[in-house]
Amino acid sequence: MRTAATIFLISVFATALFADYTAPYPFAAQFRELPNAAASGSHLLGTDALGRDRLSRLLYGARLSMLLAPAAALGSVLLALGFALLAAMGGPWCERLILAAADLFLSLPLFFLLLAARALLPLHTTAETAAIVMFGLLAGLGWAGPARVMVGAAKQFSRSDFVLFAKTCGHGRIRIALVHIMPNILPVAKAQFLIATPSYLLAEASLGLLGLGIPEPVPSWGSLLRELESVSAITANPWILTPALCLFLVVAGFHMAVSADKTAV
Amino acid sequence: MTPRASRFPHLLAVICRRLIWFMVVLLVGGLVGAVLVRVAPGFGTDERMLDARLSNASIQAIARERSGGADIGWYYVDYLGRLLRGDLGTSVSLGRPVRELLGERMGTSVRSAGLGLALAWTLALAVIGLLELCRNPAGETLASVIVEVLLCIPVALLAVGCFYLGGAPALAVAAILFPRIFRYGRALARQTGAAPHVLAAHASGESPWRILGFHVMLPIFPELAALAGVTVNMAVGAIIPVEALCDSPGVGALVWQAALARDLPVLVNVTLLVTAVTLASNFAADVARNARWDAI
Repeated sequence: MRTAATIFLISVFATALFADYTAPYPFAAQFRELPNAAASGSHLLGTDALGRDRLSRLLYGARLSMLLAPAAALGSVLLALGFALLAAMGGPWCERLILAAADLFLSLPLFFLLLAARALLPLHTTAETAAIVMFGLLAGLGWAGPARVMVGAAKQFSRSDFVLFAKTCGHGRIRIALVHIMPNILPVAKAQFLIATPSYLLAEASLGLLGLGIPEPVPSWGSLLRELESVSAITANPWILTPALCLFLVVAGFHMAVSADKTAV
Repeated sequence: MTPRASRFPHLLAVICRRLIWFMVVLLVGGLVGAVLVRVAPGFGTDERMLDARLSNASIQAIARERSGGADIGWYYVDYLGRLLRGDLGTSVSLGRPVRELLGERMGTSVRSAGLGLALAWTLALAVIGLLELCRNPAGETLASVIVEVLLCIPVALLAVGCFYLGGAPALAVAAILFPRIFRYGRALARQTGAAPHVLAAHASGESPWRILGFHVMLPIFPELAALAGVTVNMAVGAIIPVEALCDSPGVGALVWQAALARDLPVLVNVTLLVTAVTLASNFAADVARNARWDAI
């Protein structure tokens, strides 16, 4: 299952990454004579209200979502890893301080902060800036969960025999953290990355559906879901459910990879 | 001094420490919310400023009005002073006292979240109990598939789906919470159900209902109570997209409108309110998890 999920995710990632070649049209190209067109040979998923090819927008949207969500997850996990190593090096006070900060961040409603910060971007913000700010916020605000797990793991390893041996050999704190502790908590970091990525994809989708996702004309999977707000549009053009289906499959792929990872551990 | 009496000062110290931590996090949470809003690049801008029909004087007046909270430190200290007097300020976008707005909408949100929580818990516990009683692999697989499917759908999309199906916001909240409660609860029940004392109870011919009640559900009660505290947080998080998309006039919809209108007084107050609810439920979850006051 893990192999199948990994292959699926890699193929989606590759298709999205090379959207310039895989998409039939540019994402902003308008076919003004064909607004809200049904699925056809030239437009496999039809066109939207502005006459833009849905398949092309789906592929370009995948590129944005599939690149930035893992990047944000990586940012969160790297921050958490840094704090975990700091806690391992700095002693009990440092660890308490980091855990208190993590508790504070966990006490703040992430989705609410994200909503507020996203809404407060200037009206003329470019779509690229909005995307970077939004996923940057996700990375900056989402470190606390992984940090709690990784600080615990780092603490456990910092009390182990091999770290004690390294200390008696006169190794410095930084060397111990980087050479002896970090490689051991990397599997935990990998699992946290796999957990954070789909949750960031889902958060972006929810924000997009609320109209606070990536602004037009740049597509993301979240912003493509806005078409689902009209039930009559869904019954008339069921293919507009494709972005939701793609998002579902990708998130399911990540979940499978995580559960397989847990089983392996 | 009896052991119970000697434990009392310790218990008091623990409660005091918790309360101080509660206040500190609350104050810092409000400050973080206010700072985030203040440092956002669009702070002080208003859609009305883009209206070409307005004169320069009108636009400057709007800009002055919107820059009221520009000095975040002063704004926050002043806000805390007013908060102690029960004054939560006035909404910039709606022109009404925030206290009034929250008072009007709180009931709707509490009802939606409460009903959603009750529905999700009832359903989750019923399914967990049924699976534990029947021990049917097909039923187990079906429940797992449904839960995984629900977990892979964005909460906002679940809210839209429930709205289309004619369900109240409470149903959407329940649809969001159910898979999370079920997954954790089922794992706990499965683990406890395989314990040696439960196998011994089965072997000695105890009734399945008695085993479920006394040997499976009762031992996992502290964990489930802790999960109940955590699910309050989840319900608070879910209520924003649910109310915004289901057009329900609650605090979630107010937050969404405030976010769109860059309404600092509403955002800071709701941040504090939500942080307080989150902290209180976390505290309750900690207490339940430890199950003994002296172990907190």
